[in-house]
Amino acid sequence: MAWLNVHETSGASYAGSTPYSRYKHLAAMMLEWRWVLPAFIIVGWFVYYPIIENFRVSTTMQDIFTGEVENVGLENYTRLFSDKVVWSALRNNLLYAIISIVFQVFGAFIVAAIIEDLSSRKMRNFWRAVYFVPSAISTTVTGLLFYFIYQPDIGLLEEVMKILGLGAYAKAWLGDEDTAIYAIIGMSQWQGFGYSALLFTIAIQKIPKELYDAARMDGAGALRQLWSITLPMTREMTGMMIIVTITGAFQVFNEIMVMTGGGPNNSSQVLGTWLYEMGFTQNDMGYAAAIGSLIFVVTTMCGLAQLWYTKRKRVNT
Amino acid sequence: MEVFSKTTALALIFGCASLPPMAAQAEMADPNATVEYSGELSILTKFGMQRLQPYFIEMAKKYEALHPDVSISLIQEDDDSVKGKTKTLVASNSLPDIFFSWTGTWGGNFVRGDRAVDLSPVIGPDTDWGKTFAPAAVSAFMYNDKYYGIPLYLDAKFMGYSKPIFDELGIDVPKSHAELIEACKTIDAAGYLPVSFGNKEPWAGLHYLGQLLAYNVPQTVLEADYDPATATFDDPGYVAALNQFREFQDACTIGADVNAISYKTAIQQFSDGVSAMYYQEIIEFDSSAKPTTKLTPDDFGFFVLPPAEDAAGDHMALEGAPEGYMISSASENIPLAIDFMKFVTKPENARILSAPPFGQPPAVQGGADSENMNPSVVEGLDDIAEASYLIQWLDTVNHPRVASEWLSSFQAFVGGTKSAEDVVADVRTTAHSIRN
Amino acid sequence: MSTQNIIPEVAHKPKPNPWVIVGRGVLQSFLVLLGIVVLYPLLWMALSGFKSNTEIFNSPFALPQNWSFSSYVDAWNNGVSQFVVSSLIVTAMSIVATVLISAWTAFGLTRTKIPGKPLLVGFVLGGMMLSPTVALVPLVRMMQSFGIYDTHWALILLYTAFRIPFTTFLIRAYMLDLPYDLDEAARMDGATEGQIFRKIILPLCQPIIVSCVILHVLFAWNEYLFAMIFTSSADTQTLPVGLTSLMSKHGTDFGQVFAAMTISALPIVIIFFLTQRYFIRGLTDGMGK
Repeated sequence: MAWLNVHETSGASYAGSTPYSRYKHLAAMMLEWRWVLPAFIIVGWFVYYPIIENFRVSTTMQDIFTGEVENVGLENYTRLFSDKVVWSALRNNLLYAIISIVFQVFGAFIVAAIIEDLSSRKMRNFWRAVYFVPSAISTTVTGLLFYFIYQPDIGLLEEVMKILGLGAYAKAWLGDEDTAIYAIIGMSQWQGFGYSALLFTIAIQKIPKELYDAARMDGAGALRQLWSITLPMTREMTGMMIIVTITGAFQVFNEIMVMTGGGPNNSSQVLGTWLYEMGFTQNDMGYAAAIGSLIFVVTTMCGLAQLWYTKRKRVNT
Repeated sequence: MEVFSKTTALALIFGCASLPPMAAQAEMADPNATVEYSGELSILTKFGMQRLQPYFIEMAKKYEALHPDVSISLIQEDDDSVKGKTKTLVASNSLPDIFFSWTGTWGGNFVRGDRAVDLSPVIGPDTDWGKTFAPAAVSAFMYNDKYYGIPLYLDAKFMGYSKPIFDELGIDVPKSHAELIEACKTIDAAGYLPVSFGNKEPWAGLHYLGQLLAYNVPQTVLEADYDPATATFDDPGYVAALNQFREFQDACTIGADVNAISYKTAIQQFSDGVSAMYYQEIIEFDSSAKPTTKLTPDDFGFFVLPPAEDAAGDHMALEGAPEGYMISSASENIPLAIDFMKFVTKPENARILSAPPFGQPPAVQGGADSENMNPSVVEGLDDIAEASYLIQWLDTVNHPRVASEWLSSFQAFVGGTKSAEDVVADVRTTAHSIRN
Repeated sequence: MSTQNIIPEVAHKPKPNPWVIVGRGVLQSFLVLLGIVVLYPLLWMALSGFKSNTEIFNSPFALPQNWSFSSYVDAWNNGVSQFVVSSLIVTAMSIVATVLISAWTAFGLTRTKIPGKPLLVGFVLGGMMLSPTVALVPLVRMMQSFGIYDTHWALILLYTAFRIPFTTFLIRAYMLDLPYDLDEAARMDGATEGQIFRKIILPLCQPIIVSCVILHVLFAWNEYLFAMIFTSSADTQTLPVGLTSLMSKHGTDFGQVFAAMTISALPIVIIFFLTQRYFIRGLTDGMGK
């Protein structure tokens, strides 16, 4: 609310002044804009404007070679709903979100709780850092790496399965329509859980330890403490992580491009890669823009949810 | 609300920055035009790879030496970057005087947009210049019965094989589809992988199918089906070709798992002597068998993928296409641009292109330097010359959406989740949906 | 700080519950196992860079027969050095632009009397919600018409534009917590706003700025979508895209591909270990607050 006060005082100060000083005051106020002008221009021009422009493009059919632009109204959107790949891409994005919530939010929470249960501070920092390492590495690198790991016959995974006596279950994970997307999501869990585990360890550290002392007095075991203290006390972090994970799941692109290119038979396409395929391989920019609008709707809803969540949290604390 | 109005205002201010490109005007080459040897010539090439780069630099230098008032500027891109670069140049109406193009849909883009000069009067089959090329190469750049491209080199697909493995097992080069299947069974029994094949990038598999379609479906039917407006996709040859491929896949490859393998892994298995055969482009010959790989150039042999005896199409057709150049209709000196390309396609200059380090099979007849070239490439060129016609790559000759349907449906077919009949039906549905 | 305190307490109790000890042992072995799952693939990647093709596929678990750096050298000479330079240029330039503009904006949004401040805050920070994928189609034409398609400038501009909202958000949150009496005192002494920004606030913000720089490095070094669309030639491609084109050009020399992957991953892992503290601050501030 601080901004309101600022506004009121400045308003009061020029109410009783002369026209000249009012002008001068206004000039001074405008001069204040210099602080936000660079960000305003760059963000407005390269972030907001293209997104608005995307909606305009999505109502056209364009041919870059002839220069023809045809207004087709909502045709690209009706095509969107009858495009089987769009639906399966949407399903894959959702799968990505759900599985990531299981492993990167709840799985990571459990890992964080186990780490924080260690008595040595050094070991706690050590594990936390180790698990984080894959998150620091480019998804191109991890994607290529897992492409090799998943190879049939010669891949590392198949070798490991053979050692464990599971050789009979090995298959071409990325080459099978039923498993390709899961193989990619699996890589993503490997890469991402350490990131959320690290954030959870910090949230857990912020819990006052008196709570645990009190619980122990009451004879609560470790599991009981996890359930009735750690979990509720990190609820905010968990909520935040869920939203961030969903948003991330709808922006997936890199790992799919590197590992399968959306195949086989488009079974591992997600919205982002399908947009790329349509716009940049098939030169159908209007339709690509319509897919972009769909991504916009979903990610903006997630963004608003996050905003609402933070606001609510502020009011509560 | 205020935020919104500000951004819309912003959009209005900057909206003009992203207007689509203007339409271009159609141009036709004039065979009697006098060439004015002065001014600038810009060229977009696809020889950006280090090994190929010097070719156009050398050509430009020689041409400038002949005509001192001409200066040539080169934009050299490689396979990956040339599409993006070309689209950018089109979008900004700054297409160079001479630019690289593939045959099929890609070249059709420039014709549709009136961005390429109609070269029929100078390079058509009855013209002096036109006669110097392999006829199939010139006609590959034909759109609406007009000729738009200057072919520079040829590419075609052959089955490469390991002579040592074939000798060891006493196998002769297969002459028919049935013989190929038999050969695979023998090789498999001996513990080698008959054919290394990777279909992670589904165009690799579609290349097999393209050759099989040429054998099984008459040329006129195929050509009618390329155009969504006349496509019917009801010839029984389509399903026959797919079923032949299935037989091949079952007997010669690792099966459905090929969808997980990259063609790069497949070529490596061939070079490493793990597999006995690998289906490849003539321009790959030099990289699949090198003096440093287990399979040396002396061990390397190749043959045309053999047709099934009862196949109803053209048994002498070969899958392949030339790559070449077009002249921009916006060029200010079209006669000069044509003259430069005539210079580049002179037999003595084509010979430079065919010899190491470039090793590109030239499209000009008599342009092959057989003494310096890889002997396998020379033989391959003979096969191309004998072919009744060149069937183009399926993924470049079809409408982009049909091509995309071929790619994904074929991948499903290889993975065993779609039947031959369903593949053809889905391709047909896609073609029809474009027509409407 | 938390439940680890159980251990000493349990220890001096007369009868330690054996199940607790067993359970703890199981959990700790789980951590070790998970650590192996996380680290082994990375180790395998680095080691494979020393191996020949045959070794990589025939004896994947063995150590390299001879430790030859040739794949690393080849990878470096076959384009990786160019990609590293591009990545360095793009990362460094976009860091400077992003952090300077964000700090400048954050100061304006927290410590000046700008009219319409809440709207401006909403506008700048709202940019965080917008997905780069959605802007892609129009951006291509914009970059083409500016003539900066396939140049480093395209990436520098876009990385700056798309990271200003988040970076401003972090710095603004930090500035809000700085005491206001400092500004007041300086203003009394006749300092201008510009001076207050440069001489007082900016130095105080050093820790969060370091965090922002590190988070930006993590982002710009690894970014793929924009890099893939807006650069196409070998001398403008950054590492993540360059790696994929290296894969298509030298894809049959797997040792070289693994070496290139390792070279690309190493700097960022080292930076993480060296600057963990700032890294974690940036992450927690970005999530919580």
